[in-house]
Order: sequence, then structure tokens, then C-alpha cells
Amino acid sequence: MKKTALSILSASALTLALAACSDSPDSKDIEISQELTWDEIVDKAKGQKVYFNAWGGSETINDYISWAAERVKEDYGVEVEQVKVTETGNVVSRILAEKTAGRNEDGSVDLVWINGENFKAMKENELLAQPYTQLLPNYELVDTEGKPTTVFDFTTPVDNMEAPWGMAQLVFMFDSAKVPQAPGSITELMKFAADNPGRVTYPAPPSFHGTTFIKQALLELADDASALYQPVDESDFEMVSKPLWDFLDQLHPTMWRGGEAFTQGADEMKQLLNDGEILISLSFNPNDASNAIANQELPDTVRTYVHNSGTIGNTHFVAIPYNSSAKAGAMVFSNFLMSAEAQARKANPEVWGDPTVLAYNKLDSKGKALFDDLPIGVATLSADALGTVLREPHTSWVAALENEWQKRYLK
Amino acid sequence: MRVKSTLVLFPILCLILLLAPILLGLVSTWLPAFGYMPVIGATHFSLSYFNALFQHPAFTASVTSTLVSGIGATVLSLALAFWVIMHLYGTRSWAFLQKSLSPLLAMPHAAFAIGIALLISPSGWLLRIISPDITGFDSPPDWLILKDPKGYSLLFVLVLKETPFLILMILSALNQIKFRETFWVGSSLGYSSIRIWSRLVIPQLMPKLRLPILAVAAYSLSVVDISLIVGPSAPPTFAVLINRWFNDPDVSMRLLGSAGAVVLFLIVALVLLSILIIEQLLAKTTASNLVNGSRRSIISTLRPLAYGLNYSLSIIGIVCLAVLIIWSFTQVWRFPDALPSAYSLKYWAKSWPNLVDLSITSVTIALASTLISAIIVVGCLEFEVWAKRNGQSINHQRVLLLNYLPLLIPQIAFIFGVQVLLLWAHVEGTWFSMVWSHLIFVLPYVFLTLSGVYRGYDQRFYDVALTLSGSKWKSFYQIKLPMLLKPLLYSTAIGCSVSLAQYLPTLFAGAGRFSTVTTETVNLASGSDRRVMAVYALWQFAIPLIIFALAIGLPNRIFKDRVAMKS
Repeated sequence: MKKTALSILSASALTLALAACSDSPDSKDIEISQELTWDEIVDKAKGQKVYFNAWGGSETINDYISWAAERVKEDYGVEVEQVKVTETGNVVSRILAEKTAGRNEDGSVDLVWINGENFKAMKENELLAQPYTQLLPNYELVDTEGKPTTVFDFTTPVDNMEAPWGMAQLVFMFDSAKVPQAPGSITELMKFAADNPGRVTYPAPPSFHGTTFIKQALLELADDASALYQPVDESDFEMVSKPLWDFLDQLHPTMWRGGEAFTQGADEMKQLLNDGEILISLSFNPNDASNAIANQELPDTVRTYVHNSGTIGNTHFVAIPYNSSAKAGAMVFSNFLMSAEAQARKANPEVWGDPTVLAYNKLDSKGKALFDDLPIGVATLSADALGTVLREPHTSWVAALENEWQKRYLK
Repeated sequence: MRVKSTLVLFPILCLILLLAPILLGLVSTWLPAFGYMPVIGATHFSLSYFNALFQHPAFTASVTSTLVSGIGATVLSLALAFWVIMHLYGTRSWAFLQKSLSPLLAMPHAAFAIGIALLISPSGWLLRIISPDITGFDSPPDWLILKDPKGYSLLFVLVLKETPFLILMILSALNQIKFRETFWVGSSLGYSSIRIWSRLVIPQLMPKLRLPILAVAAYSLSVVDISLIVGPSAPPTFAVLINRWFNDPDVSMRLLGSAGAVVLFLIVALVLLSILIIEQLLAKTTASNLVNGSRRSIISTLRPLAYGLNYSLSIIGIVCLAVLIIWSFTQVWRFPDALPSAYSLKYWAKSWPNLVDLSITSVTIALASTLISAIIVVGCLEFEVWAKRNGQSINHQRVLLLNYLPLLIPQIAFIFGVQVLLLWAHVEGTWFSMVWSHLIFVLPYVFLTLSGVYRGYDQRFYDVALTLSGSKWKSFYQIKLPMLLKPLLYSTAIGCSVSLAQYLPTLFAGAGRFSTVTTETVNLASGSDRRVMAVYALWQFAIPLIIFALAIGLPNRIFKDRVAMKS
């Protein structure tokens, strides 16, 4: 008995020790530098395993990522595993914790789906790998001139530290069977809410969609929107933001649940729209409604619309953390995600319907053909109908607006 | 002379495995709370993060909803548990109650919360059934019944989940006192059965229920996964808010999160202390009533309510399951249709490959952490046997407290610190850290479910075996273990179900490299597709159920030729 106890103990101690050792850093990866050639990167990438940390709340997107992972495995022998995260903030916090603990190599994240505030936080805390997108052949296809948000992420300069992956623009959805005429501006939305009490809502800031909604409202309502593109310290916050609070004070009593409860994001809004609890939902993906109709998550009478003066748009990216152990693999995967093949498939409303970051005129004939063949979703607006893309306000406004919103409306 | 045994290593190992992560985790959460987190340039100790916390716009509201739902759930579920037991003991419903407990307990929190949400929300099944015929609703009414700001819906779900647990705890406490005898004596003196309970039984039970009640309170005040699904949204409950700060893109929010973790720890400590004080006060003030001789009670007239409650717990569980099953096979189900207008196997087929992967990870972690726990627990209990034989006394109360510690301290109060430590040791996101982080919560349950039966084992069987075989190991392995196989397997099943349900430890220790059925289910609960959500929630429920079925079925199969070993 005694002997057995002892042997079990020592066996488990051994396992513990082994487990602790198995994770020691190895140097099979590359250092990113300007001199690297694409062939060197591809060569090094072979056999690497890339942990791609990406929001995992949508099966559609997860399926697309699985497809892309299979493709790079075929072509480059790079293994990509999606780590499904609830909030990208988690990932930033983990990398930061790794830095805290001095884990400067062999980090747990090799590539992360990111933009905006999270990117800014990573950049400021030096959690990103060296600039790398200029080394990727497909980066030349990106429409950096026509889509300035691919080089300025919420006003933060991208500096080649993240690879553009997809475009987003705030759109609204309504059920055309129930609502004859969608509101064309934020003030018309308020009138609509008053006419249809309890049927309009928006997600609570500081959730991503909630914050976007109040930014959109302020951009439309502000006397001088140019102040929003400067750091918030440089302007009179109270004065600039006043029209927003006046608007919300008036809107809330007419809202869903009397403005006492809010949704957590666009996904919950979509559910409520499907149930008929609310009449207007929002999304950051112009193809969202078409996808949802195809997937029978929304009735086929749902349509998309934007406000007359334009809506906020931005770009989402993938970035490599400084302590990734598979930088070469991550670069190969980033490059593939920017290929015409991957981008066209992503833009297909039957697959995901996420607009491309590429410039059509930069593509070869084969690439152009891929985009020409794309079906157009029943509820998708044409590029023309999407209208003006409003740039995201300066990042510093996010925290200020979120904080003020919470102060006013959390009781 | 004191004799020594290598068995003493088990309690020591147990102590280290449980205490080290909790204490070190607490410390490395507290340091950032006081402004010490060198990597983000915070090296000056200060109280400013506590100031920032108290002035945060969400603070008051989120602490309020936390207290309402946490304390409310504890008080209500305790009252209901006693209510049901007091009224049903010795009636025909009693057997039903005992049978219905295990499946109710096995149902994972997240799946249960999702089921309830699909049931009672304004667009839920209940309203779909009676709309539009009875209600006249063509679209869901604008009722604030789910995710309400004060946390009443969270309270409701917690009560449904905690009442069966407390009933089970009361049952096991009843086995430890001379309940039958007390009842006979009470009845022969003409006390009504309610009076026997309130005057004779409950005062004996309370000391044994103290820790389970405190565990329920600590859990309810700090739960994250259920709160994400049915809790308030703006602001969320305090534990969810802290979790959000730990994950905020603005890294300096970690300091605020840490300060929040400290405050939540103190809030829980304060509530637990108040419960202890109130219990003492109640015991003192009611002591004179105990002997006032009153034999009847007004409460007796309310018995039918208890029957209703007994069945409604099970009915809610079954309906919850039903709505999940329907949604998982749904293609289109619009309000106010009572049932889906189109069905499909698509969502099972689509999710299946991923579910298999997730299940393999989940079950491996569960089995590993449970088996290690079981070995350690059996080792500890054998040490007790040995110590007793050698005239050394074991303080059972202290052992119990150690095992309850992981259940009394909010996970969110120390898990961030554990994450920092794992990173520092370069073992974050490994099987090792996964299994250990689960073990902290699995081991106590294995101990709590096994220790009673194990201590009650008639050691003379072992002694006879020893005289016949001359081998301690053989006597243990061939006689004692098989005789205890049934409770051992049952504890293993409980341990596995605890591991399978873990959410925060998987997130924080797994470096996101480990997705389990539970993390994925909670993830999808924030998505838009109820059909996929239902598939995952059902599967989250199915796995522990399969394990329980195996644990109950295996002994009968193994002992099929040995009548005395069967149940």
C-alpha cells in the first residue's frame, strides 16, 4: 500500500515536471525583418501550427475560417487552428499577461482578428510583431487608396502591423412587411420610435455595436462633426456631445423595455427582429441581412438601409503578436486571407458576405472573374446604395462617450 | 511513540493542490488592485484604483443587482428546500423527489439557463403556446421579464438550480443525525410533523448545513456564466463586470478589474459572515421557543403547495429540456407559432464534428481531473483510517473546511492571479494547467460525496481479508475497493460533471487553446442562432448524463453474478 502510494505520487510528480518542460521555447521561427523574402517565409512556415484567435460567435464565420485553414494546409503545409474567443479584449489581455510574466517567446497567440481600440491597445503596449504586411505579395492588391480605413484603423495609423481582412459599414435592417418606409436619419428614427413605442432599441455601450450606434448618432447630430476627429481633450466634450444626450433622453422612454434594459449586441438584435419584438436592427456587415435570410434566421422580407448622410465604416484586420511562435505561418495565412480566392469567397453572401479589402482594378483577370461571378444577396445594398462611408471618430472619443453614457443611463 | 505512514503524503498533496493556487492567485490579484503591475508601468502602490472603482458609473447598480440576486437566491432556495423536505418526508412523493434530484443536479448551469430563457422570455415558448389565441399577441409583448436591471430573472434561475442542491445536502445531513428516532419521539409527544422539523430537527441540522449554504451564497454572488445568459445587461452583475474589465482592450482596466475582484471578495466574505451571525442570532432568539410546548403550527395547512413545488421543479426541468430539443431540430420557428413551421437535422449535422472535438477535450479534462482527485481523496481517507488505528485524531471539521474553501471563494477573485502565475511558470494553456485548474473545484465535490460512505465502511471486511491474504494492497484492492465501487463511481460522475461545467477556469487557464462544450455553449448563447445554441446546450447536458448512466450501470454489470453487491 505504502509503496503504491509512493509510486503513484512520484509518477504524478514526473508528469507534472514533464508537462512543465514540454512547453520550453524553441527557435524554429523567424525574426521579422525587411530583408526577408517571401520564399524564406513560406519555407519556414511549413509545418508550423498557427493559433488564430478570432471571435467565434458565428458559425458562418467559423466555417469560413475552417475552409481557409484547410486551404493553407494544402498549399503551404501550415496548420491553422481557430481559437474561438468571446471578446477580442480577452486576447489582448492574455498577451499582456504573457508580457507581464515575461513570456516573450512562444506566446499562446499567433494571429488575432482585431481592429480599433484593441489594435490601439496592442500597439501602445508594444504587443505587436514588427511591421510585416509589406512583405506579403497579396498586400499589393489591397485598395489602400480607395479604402483609407485600411491604413488608418479608427484613426490609429496601421503602419503595416496588421493585415486588412474585411470591410465593415454600419447598416440598419427592417422588415419591409411590417414597416413601409425605413427612417432615413437619426432624427427620423426618433420619430419612428415614438410612433412605434417599445419596438426600437440599441445595444448598450460599451459593447462594440452600442458604442458605434451612439457615435453614428453624434456624427449626425453634432453641430460641428470635425471636432470628433480630434483627440477628445482638445475639444469641449460637454458642448460637442450635448445633442447626443438630448436625443437619447428623448429616445429612451419610447424604447424597448422603456429604455431600462438593453441588448448586448447586433446578434441579440437580430433575434429580436426575427421574433418581431423590435422593428429595426443594426449590423456592421452589409450582407448580414441576406445571410440571415439564406440561413432562415430572418424572414425574407427583411431589407437593409443606411441613413441619407452616410454611416460609419471601418476595416477589420489580422495581426501577429510580438511573442508568437509561428510568425512565418501567421504571415503565410495572412497573405492567403488577402488573396483574390479567399476574399471572393468571403464576399459571397452564401458563404459569409463580408466585403473585400482588395481593389478590383488591381486584380488579374482570374481574380476579377471570381468577383464577377458572385451572387448578390436579396437584401444587400449595392456599393452605390451604401452611400457615403463616414470615418470613425478619433479613438479617444470612445472611452469618453462610453463613460458618459454609463454615468447617465445606468441606474 | 508516533508512527508514520507514507499515506500522510496524500493530505499534504491535497493541501498544496487546493491551497497554493487559491492563496497565490489571491495575492497576485491583489497586487494589481493596489497599483502594482510593472508591465504596464504601474509600480506605485496606491488606493486610486479603489477610488476609481467606487466612482465608476456602473459600480452601484451592478453591486445592487449582485446582492439582490445572490442573497435572494440563497434565502429563497434554502426556504424552498426545507419547505419541500418538511412536507414531503414520509409521503408518496418522497420517492419521486429522491429520484428526480440527480438529473436536475446533473443539468449544467449554462444549458439550464438557456432553456429557461427560451421558455420564459417574451418571445419564449410559453407565450408562443398561448399566442395569439389567448393573449391576442401577434408579436412578443414588451415585458421586462428577462435580463431585468435588478437581477430578478437571474435570481429565479439560481433558485431553480440551487434548491435541488440544498435538498440533496439536507438529505445527506439527515443521514448524519438520529432523524428517525427524533421523529418517533416527537410524534409520540404529540408534535405535528412541522413542529418536529422546526423544533427538533432543524436545530440539529443547521451546523451541518452551514457550509453548503455558504457555498450557495458565494456561488450566487459571483456566478458569471448564468449571469451572462439571464442576468442584467446594463450594467451586468459585478462578477461579469469584473470579468469584462479583465478583458478590456484598455490594459489599465486590469487594475480596475483587480480592485473589483478584491471588493467582490470582501462583499462575499461580508455576506457569509452575516449569514453566520444571523444563524447564531436566530438560534439564540428561538431557543426559548423550542421548549414552549406548542405542538401545532399554522404552516401545516400549506402542505399542498409543497407538493406543487416538488413536481414543478421536475416539470420545469423537463420542459426546459423539451424546448431545447425542439429548437435543436428547428429550421424556422416564428412567433407566435406554438411549434416550428419547418424542422431540420441540419444544425446537428453541421455542429457534430465540432461537438465531437469539444467533447473529447472536455471529457479528457474531466476524467483526468476526477481520477487524480479520486486517488488523492481515497489516499486522504485511507490516511484517516490509518491515523485512527494508530490513535491519532483527525479534525474532520478542518478537513471539511479545506474542501469547502474553493467553493467559498469567488472564482473571479483569484482566477486572474492564477493566470498570471501560470504564465510566469510557462504552463499556461497546457493540459497540466487545465487539469489542475479544474481539480481545484472537482476534488472538493469528490471528497464531499465520497467521505461519508468511505468513513462508514466496515473495516472488519478489510481486516478479515488481511488475515487471509497477508497483503495490505490485495486486501485494499480486491476487497475494499470493489465493495466501495458504487459510491466511488458515483463520486467520479459528480466530479466529472463539475469539471464539465467549469467556465472561468477553462477560459483563464486554457489560454483560449482549450475550448470545451461549456465555453462554446456560453459563447454561442451570445450569438444569434437559437438552433445551434440549442444543439450545444443539449449536448452539454447529454455528456454528464451519459457519464452518470455509466456510473450507475457499471456496478450492476460488473457484479452481475454477485447478488449481495447489487443495489
